Amino acid sequence: MNTKSIILAGFALLLTGVSTPRALASVPVGDGRVQLGGFFSQGWLYGSDNNYPTADKGGTWDFREMAVNASTTVGSHLRIGGQVFAQRLGELGRDKVILDWAVADYNVSPVFGIRAGRVKYPKGLYGEALDLDIVRPFVFLPGSVYSPVMRDFSASFNGGMAYGSIDAGKGSFDYKVFGGRIPMSPDQGVAEFYNNAGFYTAPGATALSMDSVLGGQLTWNTPVSGLKLVYSFSQFTNLATDGPFVAYPAANLHSNIHHFTWNTISAEYSWGNWVFAGEWQRTDSGLRYSAPPVLATVDGPVGWDGWYLSAARRLNDKFEVGAYYGDLKNRFGSANGGSRNYQHDWALSLRFDYSEHVLFKIEGHYIDGTYQTFDTARIPNPGAGLRPHTSLIAVKTTFSF
Amino acid sequence: MKIISIRPFALLAACTLVCTAGFAAPALIGNKNVAAEKLDAATVKSIFLGKKVAWDGAGRITLAVLKGGPVAEEYFKSAVGMAASAFNNHWRRLAMTGGGTAPKSFEKEEDLRKFVAETPGAVGFVDRANADDSVAILTPAP
Repeated sequence: MNTKSIILAGFALLLTGVSTPRALASVPVGDGRVQLGGFFSQGWLYGSDNNYPTADKGGTWDFREMAVNASTTVGSHLRIGGQVFAQRLGELGRDKVILDWAVADYNVSPVFGIRAGRVKYPKGLYGEALDLDIVRPFVFLPGSVYSPVMRDFSASFNGGMAYGSIDAGKGSFDYKVFGGRIPMSPDQGVAEFYNNAGFYTAPGATALSMDSVLGGQLTWNTPVSGLKLVYSFSQFTNLATDGPFVAYPAANLHSNIHHFTWNTISAEYSWGNWVFAGEWQRTDSGLRYSAPPVLATVDGPVGWDGWYLSAARRLNDKFEVGAYYGDLKNRFGSANGGSRNYQHDWALSLRFDYSEHVLFKIEGHYIDGTYQTFDTARIPNPGAGLRPHTSLIAVKTTFSF
Repeated sequence: MKIISIRPFALLAACTLVCTAGFAAPALIGNKNVAAEKLDAATVKSIFLGKKVAWDGAGRITLAVLKGGPVAEEYFKSAVGMAASAFNNHWRRLAMTGGGTAPKSFEKEEDLRKFVAETPGAVGFVDRANADDSVAILTPAP
């Protein structure tokens, strides 16, 4: 299916939603034990000076997401379900349908349950809900903690998770402990982190892999109504890439990160019609690469610090506004890197809910600094044309059911 | 004198309580097969947040909620500590990420009550005035 067909099909869905504003919110099937859900969104991106987060300089319609899910229960404690997902963010995703999640979940009691299959990856407040437009006013989550080019990589993993909730007086603790692996490929947006480093001849790395991902998340639902604090930890083991070395394409350049760790501390406070959030994230790793016989082994640290503060306010049934400031910094940038070592992102959003199923959003960004503004075959930002700051306008409409 | 000066405020407070109760006085209702279940406030919150999915002796819990309105606002605020919009977002998020089965939602209290009456394991809430003997009225311990 080509781009035009997808956009037309999407708008047909949206029009269906526009014309039936009070339709049911979910679609039970048969005796009601099977639930169907999903969404389709289509947006437009305009970058003024740089291509960020994707090739959008001058405007692009290549910005959409779609998903369909089904789930059912079996007996008293078992639930099974799954969701397929496709996205296009410039040249990333290319509307390829992927399995987003597919789980068998056995909830023994509120204190303990297990979930296995393809499981959403818990990281920070919104790591499991990266593309759920319906639960926030923002088009893009703050890129300082939720890189938009890593959506297809960091949304879920294959493996298992134990979870539960433990009462603690007037509050409670929710926990998740998980392990598995994330399938990787050069098509994924995460490859741009390597391609941007200039290791490989265009279009970039030809193979990516990892051995495992392990982690956990602890949420304290505090006695203060609406306030929760979250700590998330995860670690990738043996994150490796291969491809033709840019300086000598006959040689394979192999890189490996033995451990790549993510530490995220988060707070969210819901107060009346307000939602305030703040998160801080540190990544830490050591990269080792070599391209025998022309390049001996080289070691170097890799990592960044990111944080943001956001506020959102529901004005009435129809409108919600939001704003955030995000800050991203290369922890190991070169001394003369200047604006290439940081990214400061101011964002302002407006959401309009036409109905229970159809919403519209418009969002403006001013981005100072070019850290994680890539220059690759899919997201070109040639050095001569790269500006230290850029603006981004995002318009998006979503139909959900 | 002191008693006389307090009386108007006491009357005002009583009137406020009565008026508020008249506006929205939700009652927790369940299918009659859950009438013997032990419930306290923490358990009810756990059920409405999707953490407890099965009764101790009455099978799978099926949650039924009103889509909106003063009864829903009052119930979510008092039993779950959330505004209705926050509750809806909580469940949208769970249902769309593989974390739970979304509640059945109803526009009308009569439809919700009928569903609860006909569905073993179902639990929900309606205005107390709309709860009849087709369902069990559940009173959680504090």
